[in-house]
Amino acid sequence: MSPALEVEGLHTHFGGVSAVDGVSLVLEPGRIYGLIGPNGSGKTTLFNCITGVERRDAGRVAFNGQRIDGLKPWQIARKGIGRTFQVIRVFPELSALENLLVVTRGSRVAARERALELLTFVRLEGLRDEYAGNLSYGQQKLVEFVRVLMRDPSLILLDEPAAGVNRTLLQDLLDAVRRLRDRGKTILLVEHDMKVVMGLCETVFVLDHGEKIAEGPPGTIQTDERVIEAYFGR
Amino acid sequence: MSRRAGFLAALAAAAALLAVYPSVASGYGVRAGLQLFMWIALAGSWNIISGLTGYVSFGHVAFFGAGAYAAGILVVKSGWPWLPASLAGGVAACLLALVIGYPCLRLKGPYFAIAMLGLNEVVRALVSYFEGLTGGGNGLSLPTLDAAIPVYYVMGLTAAAVVALTYFVITSRFGLRLMTIREDEVAAEAMGIDTARHKLYAFLLSAVGPGIAGGLAARDQGYIEPVSVFPLATTITMIVMVLFGGKGTVWGPVLGAVVLFVFQELVWARFIYLHQLFFGAIIIAVVLLMPRGVLGLLQIRYRLPRTI
Repeated sequence: MSPALEVEGLHTHFGGVSAVDGVSLVLEPGRIYGLIGPNGSGKTTLFNCITGVERRDAGRVAFNGQRIDGLKPWQIARKGIGRTFQVIRVFPELSALENLLVVTRGSRVAARERALELLTFVRLEGLRDEYAGNLSYGQQKLVEFVRVLMRDPSLILLDEPAAGVNRTLLQDLLDAVRRLRDRGKTILLVEHDMKVVMGLCETVFVLDHGEKIAEGPPGTIQTDERVIEAYFGR
Repeated sequence: MSRRAGFLAALAAAAALLAVYPSVASGYGVRAGLQLFMWIALAGSWNIISGLTGYVSFGHVAFFGAGAYAAGILVVKSGWPWLPASLAGGVAACLLALVIGYPCLRLKGPYFAIAMLGLNEVVRALVSYFEGLTGGGNGLSLPTLDAAIPVYYVMGLTAAAVVALTYFVITSRFGLRLMTIREDEVAAEAMGIDTARHKLYAFLLSAVGPGIAGGLAARDQGYIEPVSVFPLATTITMIVMVLFGGKGTVWGPVLGAVVLFVFQELVWARFIYLHQLFFGAIIIAVVLLMPRGVLGLLQIRYRLPRTI
């Protein structure tokens, strides 16, 4: 069985700065992966390269054994990769419900039912007709999360899902991520909250200055010298 | 539901009144009604591309002019009756939108607006250049024919069709997807929405109405020349009407067209220069005080449905 995602020698630079510098990683299906690193280490750029938002200068990306680099973001999304953004990108003047409905095709009734189910799951069913832009930061984050699920993607990239979400909801969110994994989804998440990363991820990749400097189970990573150096300096 | 029934009844009554209006109105009255319909069709069409996707078209009058010339040429050179010629004007505008939409809709924000502005000048220059076909700067005279009343009806139907089209688009998921382009195009793409294709469809839909209206206006005026059918002022007026009434709403462009057109007709007659001053003042007031327009403001404040 081919890996869910295979990134090989990915490189992209902005001017003279290598934002992602020869990163390779392999995600096996049905697992939760973490992506950590100091600010500016290239985590979001890597997400953007995988999802086609940012051009890449070299390297290849394969999803379920099929090359996806060079495809448009919407084509990649339709192949089954869903993502959230670090800075929230809900559609502010669409209602919470409409935010989920936009991606659906076919039966309107079924689409509405599924959207309401997902909103109920994040306890936002009472706010379904509210403009997404009027919701709190945490609520918008949840709308964005369930919006990704509308397409039922097999690979989900989450950019700092825990930031700004309150403790109770965070537990629900993490449980949801685990349940997605149990259903065979692959998840890669960028997260600064180490407790979340340690409690959730089976394998962690560490980026620094656009390079992958470590990879392994969270326990090992925490004691890795290069990682400590990247975070705290020598 | 009863509210909806009441609204539909009011709409039917308005349609009936407008249908019998020419039999009691003066020649001037019929022409004024016809022009009001034209403005509704133009503003409503601009709203479909710019109000929904946020891609501000500063050259939308190009479709009006293209429709006028296509219809005019078919009438004068090929002897077509004005009705099929006007519909062909809609087709011509649509083809123009297809040709220019493909490259131009890749441009974002102000670059698209400027490209559209340039496009209108290019089309106008082309029309002036091909004298053999278009009469160039001398214009094109259509055979004399008193068709004000039939043109009034067809223009009314065109306006109604544009409003109906807007209604169906806005209440559909296709319409929601157009709005996601306005809200956040990057996120829309990440959600699997083929934004390029959606923009192009919206652009094509927004060109048909002005094309037909241009053909009808050519018949009504009997004479067209490049400066009369490609004026930037027409685009500006469409934009102001939509901004005033409420962009992205179904009835906003209609409200804007009615209010501003009636206002213009009343003031125009008395204060030829002051009227432009009023118009400018309205633009500034709308942008400063209610950037969403009348209906947009009401929609947000009172959580009204998208069907307004």
